[in-house]
Order: sequence, then structure tokens, then C-alpha cells
Amino acid sequence: MDDKLVEFANLLRQNGVRVSLAETLDALAASGVTGLLDRESFRAALRATMVKRASELPVFEELFEVYFSGLGEIIKQAGQGVQEALSMSDQEFQKFLDQVEEMLKQQGEKLSELARELLQNRSGQLEKRLREAARAVRLQGIERTIEENYFARALARALGLDKLEQEIRELREQIQTLDYGNALKAQLEKYLDRRLKALEDIIRRYVRMEREKRDLRAREEQRLHQLSDKSFYYLSDEELERMKEAVTRLAQRLKNALAVRRKHAKKGRFDIKRTLRHNLEYGGVPFKLRFEKRRREKPQVVILCDVSDSVRNASRFMLQFVYSLQDLYSRVRSFVFVSDIGEVTEHFRGNDIKEALDIALKGDVINVYAHSDFGRAFRNFVGDHIGAVNKRTTVIVLGDARNNYNLPHDWCLREIRQRARRIIWLNPESRNTWGFGDSEMERYAPHCDLVEECRNLNQLYRVVDHLVAR
Amino acid sequence: MFSSIEEVIERFAAQKYIASRRIATVVYLAAALRKPILVEGPAGVGKTDLAKVLALALGHDLIRLQCYEGLDEGKALYEWEYAKQLLYTQILKDKISEVLTGAQGLAAAVDRIAKEDEVFFSERFVLPRPLLKAITADKPVVLLIDEIDKADAEFEAFLLELLSDFQVTVPEIGTFKARQVPLVVLTSNNAREMSDALKRRCLHLYIDFPDREQELAIIKLKAPEAADRLAGEVVTVVQSLRKLDLKKSPGISETIDWVKALTLLNVQHLDQDLVNETLDTIVKYEGDVRKAQEELKEYVRRARARRGGEAGQPGPASDKDLLN
Repeated sequence: MDDKLVEFANLLRQNGVRVSLAETLDALAASGVTGLLDRESFRAALRATMVKRASELPVFEELFEVYFSGLGEIIKQAGQGVQEALSMSDQEFQKFLDQVEEMLKQQGEKLSELARELLQNRSGQLEKRLREAARAVRLQGIERTIEENYFARALARALGLDKLEQEIRELREQIQTLDYGNALKAQLEKYLDRRLKALEDIIRRYVRMEREKRDLRAREEQRLHQLSDKSFYYLSDEELERMKEAVTRLAQRLKNALAVRRKHAKKGRFDIKRTLRHNLEYGGVPFKLRFEKRRREKPQVVILCDVSDSVRNASRFMLQFVYSLQDLYSRVRSFVFVSDIGEVTEHFRGNDIKEALDIALKGDVINVYAHSDFGRAFRNFVGDHIGAVNKRTTVIVLGDARNNYNLPHDWCLREIRQRARRIIWLNPESRNTWGFGDSEMERYAPHCDLVEECRNLNQLYRVVDHLVAR
Repeated sequence: MFSSIEEVIERFAAQKYIASRRIATVVYLAAALRKPILVEGPAGVGKTDLAKVLALALGHDLIRLQCYEGLDEGKALYEWEYAKQLLYTQILKDKISEVLTGAQGLAAAVDRIAKEDEVFFSERFVLPRPLLKAITADKPVVLLIDEIDKADAEFEAFLLELLSDFQVTVPEIGTFKARQVPLVVLTSNNAREMSDALKRRCLHLYIDFPDREQELAIIKLKAPEAADRLAGEVVTVVQSLRKLDLKKSPGISETIDWVKALTLLNVQHLDQDLVNETLDTIVKYEGDVRKAQEELKEYVRRARARRGGEAGQPGPASDKDLLN
């Protein structure tokens, strides 16, 4: 059992659940207390000791099903299959099994253990035997569908299936010589055949289950990696959906991390008034010192998002991210542009984030099908909305700076820089391509405090983290 | 303590708490392994109640520590009673001068006072707060540390010694080891993530909203005066409300309050006006109320249609229901 739990802990870890050694030990102790007989209690015991985050519970449930019910369930089903094939009720089947045992006692002195276990329906021992054989052939290494046949054969060999077939054949012949009734003989023969078939079936299903278990892990891993490292530009529709969830989760994580960080912020200056008041009970002797709480200034943010076709996904997630974290800023104003520029702050105030994003990106505010013209957009911003920027504002520009050879008007950015606290430019294009073709990144970069590549979720997360951390 | 998981369920039921097998298993484990339980879940699913009922079921005292931002050792563990110490020094002035008589010079006087200082830093002047109380109690107790997520991260770190070794250290006196290991229940609303170190030391229990049958059973237990039919309607409504995207989903306690309120008003069926008037017992935000009203309008309309059909032609209608 210990081995199994350790392996299960490994499996959990590989699926992103953090299980420490101490927790595995706890799980062992807990399963010792509940015992293994009652599945639900066993599951609850593992759940309480190994999974400490509500978000990881679904992973646990899924893996528990695959891992623990697996083989036992398969053997049980195979046994039921045999019973059904003989079309007997539970009672009849039990009686029949007794008869089988009786017969084996007489005939099967030289029978192998495997044959006994199989024919007498001792599923626990059979399971153990199967697991040992699986370990011997390194079944846990299976990775691909095409390996299934190979492993099934190897497992059969390790179990000694050849010998078993031989034994069963002999047993069939012996039955003919016994003085049982014909009906019973027929039933016994049928039973033997079915049992042999059932074992083959069990082996096949066991191998497949193991393969699926690894698959599950691989799929999960791949998904996470891919999503957070995949460039926004190449996301498929389905990935877009999942990405939305991922952004929400990341935002929550960032919020949690910040909550802790905030608490650790240094205390402020010595507060004489509060110290005196609190120490009145000690006759004015300052036993307890009081300090001012230093208040962290929340940043004000103005976002300028390019929503032309090439960067729309990046803009979407940027906006979603920033608005999921809205309470970390004192004020957020957001503008979208292609060649015109329009404010979408209002839409985010009244609506759900999802609806607001749709409004912002679907062309209700500005024409999103025009050709990008950063110069014109910046000039309009300086002309109409420069009031939005003050000494406490962080301006974030998100765009690829591909200006279609229009006038860049980089003086507008300088103008904004003079009024703002800082400008951060996020470019969803790979850094190597900046400055080539119609990219005006080189021209805009000198006016920005920070220019970052922001092609995927990981980079976006880092940027936003950086933004709120200071 | 408990001898089996079934016994946990039984004894909890005797205290009017319906514990699912999952909850009971964790409680049983906690009692058997002497490990704290960290209970998480949405507000109003009976996290705090779990600790209270546990104390009642075992016949132990409950010691409760309510966490909040800025909670420190002084409030949670112990504090020196400075005022009392000062008072005693004032009253004992004469005695002190007696001790000091004949001392040659300042150094000798300080030595003599130092000899006596255990008197002032002894258990007599320690003001025990919940944690120290739980450790030093003669009888076994249940210690409830409520809403641990509201406390600061430093406080959490400070709890570690207590939770793993069941001892606390007071520098001037020494280490108090628990005479009776208390059963500890920590609850968290997930305002922030707990540290891994804390989680590692606890059994983790996530309580979610109950399903329909469980909730009905709970109502029957907590508000036995409510009519079955009304309870059924209320549970259906509340369950559907939880599916909406509300700022705060109604918890079990809200459901019970609502059923009680409706029973008090002698209501047989939910209807539009009544729902609007009493909705604020289950939904607590203005925006949520609006969303809930939309949902309920639909529900009440359907319910009335169903009732109308039954009242109009009782026999055939029910047959039709069966056919459908």
C-alpha cells in the first residue's frame, strides 16, 4: 500500500498538485486509521491530507478515479461478465463457485496459483499478481497507443498465460472423466473458457488504462505550457476560451500574492498621539509603541490599446487582466484605437467584463477595420484626452507600432511622457522584428520608460505584476 | 473520542448537524491523528458551526479566537498584566523597602530586587488569551480559530508552533506544553491563500453548498415547523439562485432564515409580492437583488402555471404529468 500511495502522490505532483513528503506521510497515517475497506472514507482521508487547495480538488477526484478504482474495478466487471455469460443469479453463482472449489480440491492439486486465483474468483490476490507482473514489465512506462499490444503480450507472458491455457485445457479433459451430470459439465466447461477470456480482457483493459493515465498527465501538462507560452496571435477559438479562464486565475493569484506583500510593507513613522493614548492604562509609561500605517499609493492607469486585427487578442487579455485587478488601482481609464481613438472606460463600468470587452473590440466605439495609424491616434489623444494624464498616471500603450508608413508623430508621445509618471509600451511582436518594415518601435521607444515584449500570458503576467508591485 | 466514522455522523446528527461522510471522515481523522482541521468554503455553509457542534458532540468546552487584521500575539496568546504589576508594586512598596534595607550601594540593591523578580513575571501576572487558555486547560477543549484568512501572514507563521507541537513559549516563564491536546478547527473564507506551511500541518476540508436533498434534510432539522412543500420550493429557488453569478451566493443559514421568516408569515406558496418583500433575507447586495428578482419572476410564473393546472383539473392533470 505504501508504494501505491507514494506513486499516487507522484502522479498528483505531475499534475500540478503540490504534495509534500510530510503530507504523503499524513496520508499514510490517515489511510491506516480509516482502513481501505470503505472507499469513500479512504478517498476522504486522502483528500483531506493531500489536497490543500479547493482549485486542485477536481484534479484529485479525476486521478483518484483513474488510479484507485482502475484495476479492481476492471477485475470486478470481468467477474460479473462471466456470471452474466452463465446467466446465473448471485446466489446460484455463489453456489456454483462452491462447486468449482470442490472440484478443484479433487482435481487440481498441481494447479498453479494463478489458475486457482482466477477460477475461485479471488480478485484481491489476482489484482496483486497483476500489479507485480506490470511492475516487472515496466508497464508504467507506456506512452503511446501503438505500444498497447506489445505491453499486453509482455504482461501475459509475465503472468504465465501459456501455462494457464495448458492447465485449463487439461482441466477440461479431466472434467469429462468425472461423474458429474451433463448439464453441470457443460456449465463448468463454459466457465473455464469464460474465465480465460476474462483474464485476457482484463490484461488488455489494464494496459489501456495505464496508457490513459499517462496520457491524462501529458495532456494536462502540455495544455498549461502551451497556453501560457503560446503567442496570443496564434490562439484558436477554443484556446481563446480557455485563455480567458487562465487570465482570471492568474489575476486571482496575483491579487493573493499582493495581499501578502502589502502586509509586509514597512511600518511608518512613530505615532506619538496614538502611543500616548494606548499607554494611558500603564500610567503613561510607553510600554507599547504605535506607528503610523504607511499607505501605499495605488497607481492610476491609462491604457491605450491598439485593437487592429494583428494585436487584438493581446489587447483583449491586457484589458481583461487590468479590469480583473481593478481594485488594485485607484483609477483605470482605457482607450482603444486603430486610426481613430475612443474611450471605453464607461463600458467597463456598467457592464460585465466580458460584455465590455466585446463592445470595446467589436467596433462599436471606433472603426476597427481601418489601417493602423499610431501617429494619428496619438495626436487625437493629445488633442482630446490629455486631461486624463497627470503626474500619478502610468500610461500603458499596447501595440505593435506598425504604422503603415504614416507619420509617426512621436512628439505626441513625448508630450504625454512630460505629463505622466511613466509610459510603458508593450509590444506583442517578437523583439527581433522591431524597427523593420513599417514598425516605428525605434522611434517611439526613447519616449517610454519601459518597453517590453508581451506575446504570451507569462510575459503579460510579469508585466502586470511589475506594474502593481511598486 | 469517536470510535468510528458512523459514530461521528450519529453524534453530529444528535446536535442537529448533518455531516456528510466526507466531513465525518475528516473529523474522525482529526480526532484520531490529533491534527488540526482547516475548513474552507463559501460563506454560510456551516464552517464555524462545525467546530461548535464538534465541541458539543464531544462535551468539550469551545474556545474561540476570532481573527482580524492586526491581531497579534498579545491578543491571541498572552499578555503581561502591566496594570496589575504596577498596582502590586505600589501596594508592596513597604515590603520592597524591607527587602532593600541594609543593601550596600546601588549594585547590591539591584541584586536583591533581581532575586525577587520571578514574583512579578510568574503565571500570576499572565493574562491568558484564547490560545494559551486552550493549551493550559485541564479538560480537553475544542479550539476554533475563526476566519484565519483575515489575520496577517505573520500571525499565521506564529500559529505554526502551536499547531504542530501544541506548545507555546513565553520567554520569561518557559514553554507551556498542552496538558490535553486540543482539537483545533481553523476556518477560512479564502480572502487570501494560506501559506503552504500552515496547510501542510492541517487536514484540509472543503465544504461546498449542499445539494438539494441535503439542504432539505438540514431545513427539516433546523426549522421543523416549516411545511414540507414550502421547504421544497424554497430550496429549489435557493439552489437556482446559487447558479447565478451573484456577488454573494445565499448560504445555508440564509435558506434557513428565509424558511423561518416565511413560516412565520404563514405562507403556503411563494408568490411574486412575497418574494420581493422577503428577498433581502437571502440576497444581500443591491445588484444581486435585481438579478435574483429576474430569476424568481420566471420561477414563480412557472410554479403558478403548474399549480393552476392542478387546481383546475386535478385528476387528468396529474395523469398528464405522468405522461409527459
